[in-house]
Order: sequence, then structure tokens, then C-alpha cells
Amino acid sequence: MHFKWKRLGENALFLSPSIILTAALGIYPLLWMLRYMFYDYAGYGDPLFVGLDNFRLLMRDGLFWESVGNTFIYAGGKLLLTLPLSLLLAVILNSKLRGGNLLRGIYFMPTIISTAVISVVFYNIFNSYNGMVNTVLMKLHLISQPIDWLGPKYAMLTVIIVAVWGAVGNYMLLFLAGLQSIPQDLYESAAIDGANAARRFWSITLPMLAPVAQMVIMLAIIASLKGYESIMLITEGGPIGKTEVMYLYLYKLLFPVSTGSPVEQQLGYGSAVGFATAVIVGAITGLYFLLSRKMNKLY
Amino acid sequence: MNKQLLIQQPGGRGKSTARPFSGRTVGRAVMWLFLLITAILTLFPLLMTLSGSLKTGAEMMTGGSLLPAKPQFVNYVEAWKQANFARYTWNSAFVSVMATAGTLLVAAMAAYVVDRRHFPGKSLYVTTQASMMFISVGAIVLRPQFDLMVALNLNTTLWGVILILISAHSSTFFMLIGFFKAIPRELDEAAMVDGSGFIRTFFRVILPLLTPGLGVAGLFAFRHAWNEYILPLVFTMTNPQLQTLTVGLANLRYGSSAAMQIHLMMAGACLSILPMLLAYIVANKSFIQVTAGSVKG
Repeated sequence: MHFKWKRLGENALFLSPSIILTAALGIYPLLWMLRYMFYDYAGYGDPLFVGLDNFRLLMRDGLFWESVGNTFIYAGGKLLLTLPLSLLLAVILNSKLRGGNLLRGIYFMPTIISTAVISVVFYNIFNSYNGMVNTVLMKLHLISQPIDWLGPKYAMLTVIIVAVWGAVGNYMLLFLAGLQSIPQDLYESAAIDGANAARRFWSITLPMLAPVAQMVIMLAIIASLKGYESIMLITEGGPIGKTEVMYLYLYKLLFPVSTGSPVEQQLGYGSAVGFATAVIVGAITGLYFLLSRKMNKLY
Repeated sequence: MNKQLLIQQPGGRGKSTARPFSGRTVGRAVMWLFLLITAILTLFPLLMTLSGSLKTGAEMMTGGSLLPAKPQFVNYVEAWKQANFARYTWNSAFVSVMATAGTLLVAAMAAYVVDRRHFPGKSLYVTTQASMMFISVGAIVLRPQFDLMVALNLNTTLWGVILILISAHSSTFFMLIGFFKAIPRELDEAAMVDGSGFIRTFFRVILPLLTPGLGVAGLFAFRHAWNEYILPLVFTMTNPQLQTLTVGLANLRYGSSAAMQIHLMMAGACLSILPMLLAYIVANKSFIQVTAGSVKG
């Protein structure tokens, strides 16, 4: 009996730091949000219970739904560029070409660099007046006029390019890991049977990669819906709300963005928005999981 | 690749031999062009950061050439002293080292018990840790976390930031579980038979064997802490002397004289990228293996 209590005590001792931290800083904030989404609370004074009012407000909040739409454009654009590009790089690097390790090291490099730091850099080099992107494009005679990268027309494209820059290396590596786990003899026997490279790609590589790809794409979807740090630093959601994504909109309800624009804190409404964004991301992830079930059984 | 392409020949021979360049040569050239352009585009912003950090403020203002007319190493001195980057670097290093050490310790202790023992509520604990990685409600959690730190009087130091970083230890926990599984249980038992207690066995026998695992997990925890922006931003809004590199650098962009300071911004960006870049060059394999390992299962 004494022995059992001693074991339990040791378990508790070893687990308690993790449990206390997770409870206080992981779970408590979620419960806090679940409570205050039913309150009118600005962050000071007494919170006022308002029932579902915050959600009624949310339904009519044009800015929020616009930000949801922008999130889909941003995430969709990022995924459409990132996934094929990273798969293509992975397939090429998987063929063990000379210099492959160096190239892999270069392509993966952006993932170790702070999104915030590189966003400040991108903000400067995409500047239309003296940014290096326009300078280089004009020197190469690809454009004749400077492009207003941060203007209403191109701002979304710019933040998508920045997101793709930071993401390709990561997904390339994940695809590469999946490719390397495909047994090599499959290719050899297919080659003996006379299947050409394209045929082998469609009939072996893609189906064998499908289970890994299913997970990689899910990670990519979640990450692309969640990202707002670089947008915050490059455009602040502007101009005229063109790049406002939902997590950035949420952030603005809670904290001031730049010193010049004091925003009124709305913690109660912010909680409702936070809950709604989590539900939207969860729903999309769940939907993707349902639709992609087949990918697990392709071979 | 060579083997695959060689075998391709029988089908396409008639066409490719008719032209001076075979389809295969053209294909390889296109492939290398693509690889090269992608590599250049990947490196472009980094090279522009480096070149920008060595230009004068006036050169940055007018744009113009790719390279600085005369390298201005003085920019780094200015960033380090006047623009406060010495302070930011110290804060970043302090937060990252403490958060990494704390994350490793908390996660390793929990992972050890979960891997070696059975206890009531084990699956609840593991499920909770797993879901902590996937629930994303955005910045809203920062507010109750901040209030909690105010209540504990930790909002005027960087310990609040450090504790919150440590609290997000679930991915480290799962990474370390994998490494614990590779350490045979007989070792624990042998140590226990020799009279070493549970705690002593963990710290004296198991942790040393876990060093490779702690190394790679630590690399990821350090990268996360070093690169974090929103958390230290929110916590240091009223405490500029506590700002980390990411926050200090981003604030330059908002400053009233931002346009005059782009060269300092670039020097600061270089300073904050450098430590991670060095770690990456040294531990390239670990970064790549662990990232790849996350989907292999």
C-alpha cells in the first residue's frame, strides 16, 4: 500500500508542472473565452451578461464576414501555389541529383527565420517607390512602371507571395519524407513492365504518397487559415480592408495594432469572434477530413 | 533519375534523335532552370537584407542599386547602440534560453511518466495535450493569460512570456515520448534495483541518455521562442525595455522616423536572423530529420 502511494506521489510530482501550466495557461483561457462571449465586456468595469447578443452582432458584422472571405482567398491562394510547388520540388529532389542536399538546405531555410522579421524585410522590398522588387523587375525589363505592391490591387497577392515564400520549404520536406518511404522496387518492377516516368508518377508516386499527402494538406490548410502575423506587419489588413483576415480582425478587437490607430477594446465581442473563428477552422478541417478519406485507401 | 530516364528511351527515341537537343537534355535544362530560379527567389529577400544592412540611409531611401556603394558596417554599431538592439538581443536570448530549458524539463518529466507508467487519467492527459496543439482561437487567449500574469505580478518581467511559452509544450512532449520509447525499460529497472530512486534514476540515468532527443526538441523550442512575435508584443506594449528582437524590429517600422531608418531596420533584421541561421547551418540535419519525422509517424 505504501508502495502504491509512493508511485502515485512520484507520478504527480512529475506531471504537475505540465498539468498546472496546461490548466492555467491553456485551458483556463479557453473557458474564459467561453464565458465572456456571452458578456458585454470592454476589459474594464463590470461585465454585463447579454446572452447571445454578441453572436447576433457577429451575424450582422460586415467587417467580420469580409475578413472571413479574405481568409479564404488568402488561404486558397497560398495553398494553390505552395502545395504544387513543394510537391514538384520534393519529386525532383527525391531523384538524388547532384547538389540536391544544398538545394534542400536552401529551400528549407525560410522556415527557420522569424515570420515577423522577414515580414518587416518584405514590407521594405515590396515598397513601390524604393523597394528592391520593383527595381529588379524594371532592370530585367519585365515591367516598365513600378507596381504598387502594397496598394489595393496587389496587396493580397503580395501577402500571399510572402506566405508562400515561408511555407514551400516546409511542405517540400514533408512531401520528401513521404516520397522516401515509397519502396524503390515498385518503380523498378513498373519500369520493367514498360511504364514511363509520367505513368509511374501517376500510378505509383501519387497513390503511394496519398496518405502522407492527406496529412500534409491538412496541416497546410490549418496553418494557412491561422496565419496573420505577416499580414499584420506588411499591410495591417489594409489598404481599405483588402487583406484583413479573420484572425487579424480578432486581434484588432483586443489590442491596438499601430500606435496611430487606437481601437476600442471589446473583449466580450472578441471572445465571440474567437469562438466563431475556431468553429470555422474546425468545420473546414472536418470537411476536408471527410472529403479526403479516400486518400488513405488509394492503394 | 538517370535510370528512370534511360528506360524511357524506347518509346520516345524516334522523335528525340531527330533534333539536335534530345528531349532529355531539354528536360534537364528546364528542371535545373526551375531549381535555380526557385533557389534565387528563396535567397533574394535574405540577400536584400544583407545588402540593405550595409547601405546608407540615403541609399535605402532612393532605392537604386542592388549592392551598397560602400559597405556601411557602422550601421550595425548604430543599431546595436542607438537603436537598442543590444537590449533586444539580450531579452530575446533570455526568453529563448529559459523557455527552451523550461519546456524541455516540463515535457521530459511528463513524457517519462506517461511512457513508463500507468496511472488513472493517463489517456485524458494525453488527449488534452494532443488537442492543445489543434485548438486555435487566436489572440483571444492572450488576454486571460495577461490578466493572470498581472495577478501573479509577472507582467513587469519577461517571466510571464517565458511561462506562457513553456505552457505550450505539447509538441515537445510528443516528440520526447518517441525518444523515451527508444530507451530500454531494463535500464530503469537495473538502476532501481541498484537502489536508485525514481527521481534520481530519471535525472542521473535517463536524462543523459535522452540528450540527442533533448537536442533536437530543444532546437525546435528555441526556434519557436526566438521567432515569436505576437506574445512578447502584447506583453511589452507598456514596457519597451523588455522588448525582444522581433518586437523591437517591428516597432522601428511604426516609428515616426521609419523611412530614415530602413538601413538600421535591415541591420537589425540581420542581427536577429543570424543566430538561427548559424544554428541551422550547424544542425541542418536535425532540423530536416525532425520536420520530416513528423509525418512519417
